[in-house]
Amino acid sequence: MSRSRTRIMIGLAAVLLPSMHAFAQSTSIDERLTRVAADVFSRTDRADANIAELKSILAIDPRSAQAHMLLGIAYRTKGSSDLMGEAAGELRQAIDLDPSLIPARLYLSHLYLDLGRPERAREELQAALTRMPGQSQLQALLAESERQLGQPDGALDLATQALAANPSFAEARYYQGLALYDLKRRDEAIQAFEQALKDGGRRPEVYGSLGAAYLEAGRIDEAIATLTEAVKLDTARPQPMVALARAFRLKGQLARAEAALTTVRSLVGPTAVSAADQQILRDVYLEEGLIRLKQAKFDAAAQSLRKVVDLDPTYGPGYRYLAEAYLRQGLYARAQDQATRADKLGSPLPDDLQKTLQSKVRAPKGPE
Amino acid sequence: MIAPAARLPLCCALGLALAAGQKPPASSPRPARFADVTAAAKIAFVHRSGASPDKRMVETFGSGVAWIDYDNDGFPDLFFVNGAPGSSNALYHNNRDGTFTDVTARAGVAGAAAGDRVFKTGVAVGDFDNDGYLDLYVTALGPNTLYRNNHDGTFTDVTAKAGVAGAAERWSTSAGFFDYDHDGRLDLFVASYVDYRLDSNPYCGQKKDGYRMYCDPKIFDGTADRLYHNNGDGTFTDVSQRAGIANPAGKGLGVTFCDVDRDGWPDIYVANDTVRNFLYRNKHDGTFEDVTYAAGVGFDGNGKPRAGMGVDCGDLDGNGFPDLFVTNFSEELNALFMNRGDGTFDDKASAPGLRSAYLALGFGTKLFDMDNDGDLDIYVTNGHVIDNVKLYQPNLSYAQRDLLYENLGGGAFQDVTAQGGPALQVERVGRGLAVADFDNDGKLDVVISSVDRPAVLLKNQGGAGANWLTIQARGHRSNAFGLGAVVTAETSEGTQVREISNVASYLSASDTRLHLGLGRATVVKRLEIAWPGGARQVLENVKSNQVLVIDEEVRQ
Repeated sequence: MSRSRTRIMIGLAAVLLPSMHAFAQSTSIDERLTRVAADVFSRTDRADANIAELKSILAIDPRSAQAHMLLGIAYRTKGSSDLMGEAAGELRQAIDLDPSLIPARLYLSHLYLDLGRPERAREELQAALTRMPGQSQLQALLAESERQLGQPDGALDLATQALAANPSFAEARYYQGLALYDLKRRDEAIQAFEQALKDGGRRPEVYGSLGAAYLEAGRIDEAIATLTEAVKLDTARPQPMVALARAFRLKGQLARAEAALTTVRSLVGPTAVSAADQQILRDVYLEEGLIRLKQAKFDAAAQSLRKVVDLDPTYGPGYRYLAEAYLRQGLYARAQDQATRADKLGSPLPDDLQKTLQSKVRAPKGPE
Repeated sequence: MIAPAARLPLCCALGLALAAGQKPPASSPRPARFADVTAAAKIAFVHRSGASPDKRMVETFGSGVAWIDYDNDGFPDLFFVNGAPGSSNALYHNNRDGTFTDVTARAGVAGAAAGDRVFKTGVAVGDFDNDGYLDLYVTALGPNTLYRNNHDGTFTDVTAKAGVAGAAERWSTSAGFFDYDHDGRLDLFVASYVDYRLDSNPYCGQKKDGYRMYCDPKIFDGTADRLYHNNGDGTFTDVSQRAGIANPAGKGLGVTFCDVDRDGWPDIYVANDTVRNFLYRNKHDGTFEDVTYAAGVGFDGNGKPRAGMGVDCGDLDGNGFPDLFVTNFSEELNALFMNRGDGTFDDKASAPGLRSAYLALGFGTKLFDMDNDGDLDIYVTNGHVIDNVKLYQPNLSYAQRDLLYENLGGGAFQDVTAQGGPALQVERVGRGLAVADFDNDGKLDVVISSVDRPAVLLKNQGGAGANWLTIQARGHRSNAFGLGAVVTAETSEGTQVREISNVASYLSASDTRLHLGLGRATVVKRLEIAWPGGARQVLENVKSNQVLVIDEEVRQ
C-alpha cells in the first residue's frame, strides 16, 4: 500500500473556483478561463478538450499563470505518463509567474507524490502553508508526504490536525488511514478507510487501500468486493488488480486470479523500467508462482518465482516460495540455498517446511 | 534543388506525386559522400564520459565540438570538449594541408583543472569583445568557463570578471552568442537542463546486475535557461528574468537562433527533453515572448512533448522563412516544423523520407547544403543514451548509424545514408556535431564527437561540379563576425535566404562563415546582406567558388 497514487480532488474545487472567479474579469480570456476551470475540476472526461482550449488561451496570453496551472492540472487528470513531466512543467511555470497561486502548489505536490518525489511535495506544501497557515488541504497532503518520507507519526499528527478543522474531510481521513496502516494499526486504518468512503471519498485509491487491508486481515470476501470496486473505477491501475488476483487465489478461485494477472500484464508490459512497474511485475510473477504451487505445477512455479528474485534480488518472499517450489520438486540442495537467502532477508520458511527440508538434506543424496 | 519560378510546375508536380504516395526521385545527381579522414588529419581526440557503475546521468550526455578559426588564418580550427572531471579538452590547429596539430597545452583551454565534480558539456564560439578574434565558452554540469582569445594562440579564462560562470551545480548544455538587442555586441544564451545533483543520484532501472540504467529526465525538475547581456566592458549581466526566457520548466539541450518572423530581430528556439520546446519571439525591447503555443512548435502532432536533443533552423523549402528541425528520442520521429511565414508552423515529422529516424536517438544535427545543389540537406548523428538498452529493448542499440537526408524539394527528403560512403555505415554514440569547410575546397565537412570513443572528421567528397560561395562577414557597427546577418542570394537557379549563425546542433558550434551551394550558377547576380540592426548592403555579379570577405559599410 506504499506510495499509492493520490488523485483525490474532493473539496479542491471549492477552494480553487473562488480564486478563479477572483481573476475573472470582463475580458473573453478570463471568461474562457473561468469556464475551463469549472470543467477541469468537474469533468475528467473532457481533459482533451480542456487541454486544447488552454493551449489556445496560452497562444494569446502566454503569461497567464492561471492557464498554465489549469493546463498542468488537465495533463495530470489525463493520467498519461508521457504528460507527467509536462504537467509538472506547467505547474512550475504557473508558480513562477504567480508565486501566490496556492492551488498550483497543491496540485504540483500531488504530482510529485505521483512521481515518487515526496521531498519535493513537502517543499511545495511548506511554501504554500507559509502563505496559508493551517489550510487543511495543504496539511492533509503534507501528512501524506511525511508518510511517504517514512514519518508515519508526523503524518498521523498532520492528518489529525486537518481533520480537527473538518472531521468529514475524506482526503485527510484517507491519509490518516494510510499513516495508521504504516504504524501497523491495521484495524484502525480499516476504520479510517471505511469512514473516508462514507464521507464521500469514493475514489479508486481508497477502495484499493481498503481492499488490501481487508486482504491482510483475512477478510477475503470483503477484499474481493472492495478491490473489484477499485478496479471498476480505474481500469488502468494495476495495483488493485494484483491484490484482487491474490484475493481470488486465497479464495481458491484460480481461474479468476489468472485472468486478473493477465490484465495486469497488459498494463505493465514485459520490460518494467520504473520502480513502480518493477514492483508490480514482481508481484505478478509472485502470484503466478503461488498459483502454480497451489496447482502442484512445481516446475512452472519455480520458473515464475525465479523471475521474482531475478527482478528483485532483495525480496525475501521470492526466495522463500522458490525454496518451497524446489522442495516440492525434490531439488533439496537448491531449496536449501534459496531458504538460506530467504532467511537472511527476513522471510524464513515455515517450521514444517524447514523441518522437511532439513530431513531431506540430511538424507542420502536425492535426485539432484 | 532550388525552387526557381521557371521550375515551379516541376516542383508542384513532384509535390503532387509524393502526395499520391509515389516514390520520390532516386537521388541527387551529385550525392554527398563522406570519407573518414580523422587519422590522416592527425586528430586523436577521444571523449571521456567518466562512466561509472553509479550511472550518473551526465555521463551519457556526451560533449560538444566546435569549429573556431582562432588565429584568423582563414582555415577553421577544431575544439573538442571533454566530459569527465579532470579530462582535457582539445584544441587542434588547422595546418592548411589537411592535417591538424594539437595545441591545447599552449592555448590554455584544457579545462582539466575545472574540478573533480565538473563534467564539461557544450561549447559556444563568438567574439564577445569585438576584437576580431573568436572566443570560447565551455559549459558544464558545474561552473561554465569563458576563454578570451589573446590573439597569439593562447586564451585567458575571464569567467570571473565576465560573470558568466552560472551556479555551481547548474547543468548547462548548449550555448550560443547572438546580439539580441542590436547593440553591436554579442550576448550569451545558455540552455539549462535538469536539477540534478551528483550526490543524490537515484537508482533507475531493474535491480539485477548489469541492468542499472541512466535515469529518465522526467523524475527531475527542469531549470531555467539564462540570457547574459553583454555590457561592452568585458562583463555580462544576467537578464534572464527581465527578458522573459527564465522558464523553470525547461530541460534545455539544444538551442538555435534565427529570425523566424523575418522582422530583422533574432528569435530563440530551445529543444527541451521530455517537455515542450520553447520559441521565444524577440520583442525588440530587450524582452522575448514565449510564442510556442501560438506557433505550434512545442509538441508532436498528438500534443505530446518529445525528447528534444539537437536543433537547427534554416529555410528548407525555399519560402524565405526559416524552418525548425529537432532531433528526438528513439521511437519518436525527429521534428520538422515548416514555417508558413505567418507566425505558425506545420509539423512535417513524417515527411517522405524522414521516417527512417524512428528507431534512432538523434543528437547533433545540422541543416546544410551537403551537395552544393542550392538547398539545405539534413545530417543527424545518433546514439542511444542507455548503454545497456538492449537488455530492455532488443530492437534498439546504443551505438547507431548517422542519418543523411537529401532535400528533394517540395517538402520531401530522401535517406541517402547508404550512398554516403563507408564512413556513414559505422555505428557510433554520436553527440556533438559541427560543420565547416575545413580545407576550403567548397564542400562542407562534418566533425562528430562520440561518447567514450574517438571523434571523427568526415570530409565531404560529394557535390562534384557544383558551384559554391563562402561568405565571411566582418561587422563594424554590428558584431565583428556578422552573426545574425541575413543573406539573400539570387542566382540563375533561384533565391536563397540564409542567416549567418554558428549556433545549432547539440552542445556544438559550427563555422561562423556562411556557405552557399550554387548548383550550376557560376555567378550570384545579386547578394544582399542585412546586418543586425537593419543596414543593408548589396553586391552584384559575385563570382562563385570563392571565400568572399564582406566588410560592413559604415556610413557616417
